[in-house]
Amino acid sequence: MRLSRVFTPAFLSSLTESVFAGAVGFVVGGLVLWVLGYNPLSTFYYLLQGSVGSPTNFSVTLNNAAPLILTAICFAIGLRAGLFNIGAEGQVYVGAAAAVAVAFFSLPVGLHLALSIIVAGAAGALWSLPAFLLKASRGVNEVISTIMLNWLGFYSILWVSLNWLVDPNRSEKTISVPATMRFPDLLGGAGISSAILFSVLIAFGYYGYLWLTPSGYELRAVGLNPDAARFGGIAPKKALLSAFALGGFASGIAGAIQVAGRGPPYAIYTTLGNVQNFGFNGIGVSLIGKNHPVAIILAGIFFGALQAGATNVQLYARVPYEIVQVIEGIIVVAIAAPDILKKIRGLGK
Amino acid sequence: MGEEGELIKTVNLTKVYPDGTVALKGVDFDVQKGEIHGLLGENGAGKTTLTKILSGILKPTAGEIHVRNEKVTMKRPQDGLALGIGMVHQHFALVRRFTAFENIVLGTKVNPAGRKADTTKKQIEDLSSRLGLKVPLDELVENLSLGVQQRVEIIKMLYRNVDLLILDEPTSSLTPTESDELFKTLKKLKNEGRGIIFITHKLREVMENCDRITVLRQGQVSGRTDAGQVDPRTLARMMVGRDVVLELSRPPFSPGDVILAVRELTVLNNSGEEVVEQVSLSVRRGEIFGIAGVEGNGQTELAEAISGVKPLAKGQISLAGNDISHASPNLVRRSGAALIPEDRRFMGLVTEMTVAENTILGKQREKQFRSGYFTIAWKKVNNFTNSLIARFGIVTQGPKSVVKSMSGGNQQKLVVSRELSSEPDFILASQPTRGLDVASTEYMRKLLLQLRGANKGVLLISSDLDEIFQLADTIGVMYEGKLIDVVSSEGLTRDKIGLLMGGVKE
Repeated sequence: MRLSRVFTPAFLSSLTESVFAGAVGFVVGGLVLWVLGYNPLSTFYYLLQGSVGSPTNFSVTLNNAAPLILTAICFAIGLRAGLFNIGAEGQVYVGAAAAVAVAFFSLPVGLHLALSIIVAGAAGALWSLPAFLLKASRGVNEVISTIMLNWLGFYSILWVSLNWLVDPNRSEKTISVPATMRFPDLLGGAGISSAILFSVLIAFGYYGYLWLTPSGYELRAVGLNPDAARFGGIAPKKALLSAFALGGFASGIAGAIQVAGRGPPYAIYTTLGNVQNFGFNGIGVSLIGKNHPVAIILAGIFFGALQAGATNVQLYARVPYEIVQVIEGIIVVAIAAPDILKKIRGLGK
Repeated sequence: MGEEGELIKTVNLTKVYPDGTVALKGVDFDVQKGEIHGLLGENGAGKTTLTKILSGILKPTAGEIHVRNEKVTMKRPQDGLALGIGMVHQHFALVRRFTAFENIVLGTKVNPAGRKADTTKKQIEDLSSRLGLKVPLDELVENLSLGVQQRVEIIKMLYRNVDLLILDEPTSSLTPTESDELFKTLKKLKNEGRGIIFITHKLREVMENCDRITVLRQGQVSGRTDAGQVDPRTLARMMVGRDVVLELSRPPFSPGDVILAVRELTVLNNSGEEVVEQVSLSVRRGEIFGIAGVEGNGQTELAEAISGVKPLAKGQISLAGNDISHASPNLVRRSGAALIPEDRRFMGLVTEMTVAENTILGKQREKQFRSGYFTIAWKKVNNFTNSLIARFGIVTQGPKSVVKSMSGGNQQKLVVSRELSSEPDFILASQPTRGLDVASTEYMRKLLLQLRGANKGVLLISSDLDEIFQLADTIGVMYEGKLIDVVSSEGLTRDKIGLLMGGVKE
């Protein structure tokens, strides 16, 4: 794959637009901080310091980004097929639990991790199937079905974690995955997990699927114009199945990364606290990345940085965590706004 | 009879759309009080444009409108309503989840749930019983039949004190009984001194129910007559005219074997009504079989059934000996058909994709465009696209430009180039020149004649009668879902076709 194919002029101008919109978001966010009586400059300083200020802080950014990139891809591939698939949240729980289940087996290094990734991805894909079946057979809107599957996933995995996967010595978490199943840290000793590299690889894989394979082409055609696609001999349901299953696969792997690529605890907390919100934040990441797998890598790192910096801001700039989230929300909305405006204008035509 | 006098008059009305289409050229038209005025014409003759100008929806490019002998300028539909002009569109503008009553008062100052609602309801009931327009006011519109929905629309206008009522194709969705009731109501309105403009293409209806008739053709008035003194033949001639825009040479007709055979085909629409009824036809190699008819008489559904887009209820379709009655579009193509859809932007192309991506729509899995097992060889696709661009003279910036940015003519060429690239034996062309400029139209028509010369079968569905006359060897006319007649184009007169299109079979 030549990079010139990926980084086309359109891609670069879109990137410039996002950077500009992000800058506007920072200014508006700064104004809000100032009005509320906080110092915007020190806030942004600690935000930056907390996310890229030291190798350790940067490792937090990248470790945050790794699962977010994958859940964003789940949403993006759905949107490319004309779906509003928000089922990533539940698929992450299911994927994480599946990965922990693989930890019960003893396997050699490498093979163990590979198997857990495949099992987690397959579990995520399976969890998306009811939404596809309901849509294909009864026309049920995927927004409704995926929200229900998210809750179903939450309580099922809560139960499974407490009853089957729980650590016999420490009931606040499931068993931790053994060393043979963990993503190794990158060289340098900063604690950056190789999970980020794996996510980036998968993102490029999805890019290749969408733009280089007939199946990906069909998926995009169905998303842009289902009537023309059907007239051209493409079966829209097949494309929807691909979008749901491949989306679920990516989200399931995000769950595996959260247990096998992030320690401590290398496990699921039995409250599910450490596997929550990746699905929903992934929607934001996808929107910032304009639903393009390669841009999503950058968007995921950006979002990971905002999350990593937030704690630092709270500690040192004395801005409450909720306010930091509001400011980050403003920035994210600013970046996503140009695209959303274009969509709204497009609807009037 | 009501009072005499002129309700509305236009002088030299001209409308040119921003894209350069001349919809009306110097139209003089008038409606008197107490008159039902029929407005007749083919698709694209300018009927709808004229009525939209009269009701204030569109602004004329030149010319004057006089209402009750005073010159007026209307900028929006509300201006038309204020002058007492109201239009009932072919596709009703009702809120389906509101009751009939709520729809009638929508946009007025009456609050349908307020204290004065009962008084208003009483007024509306009086109005509707006086005119015989019975409507269940508290029923949701979505539960009403189309005939009753139309009554709601008419009452909506009358409640606003409209005294010039414009009805666009009002009988197109009504049953014969409902139509009769509509005409009774219109006569009552006429006797109250209101004026009615009645748009239609059905000759009998205008002759039986109108006082005067104006015929439009290609944006000009081609005839004006009193309804009592005219025969359908004359009206048909006024409607379809005699001019031929383009002269194309057509080699003598020497048909070969049957390539497409349709037997007793019946197709239902979404509400289960038969929109194509028992249609049988066969297309031979070296023949252009033209289907004429006013749009909305089942042609679209016929084409969709043959293409494999719409399921058929009864009957059989075979192509080159293969049964394709229940085939998908892909299978229909593989049996040797090229499918040129009526709506290129929504059916033929994915306009947000590039030219290259559109040329392989439906061929994306073919080996010729593969590299390795999994991937599309875009280089090969681009070469293929460039060869089509050269062969069909498509004007575009190249394979990577987005289809949306191309002109309609070039978009159509792109569809045609893709469909013909697989060397088909049969071509289904639905409205192939609709919306195209003169040059592209000529190109498309010559191409269809070339295909005929290459011994391929062509089924041409067109509401453009000139096109049918120029190209077709055999002509079938569709009217209300039936193929009411199939005739050879040799020695056929336009009058006869015009009569058939209006549903009159001699």
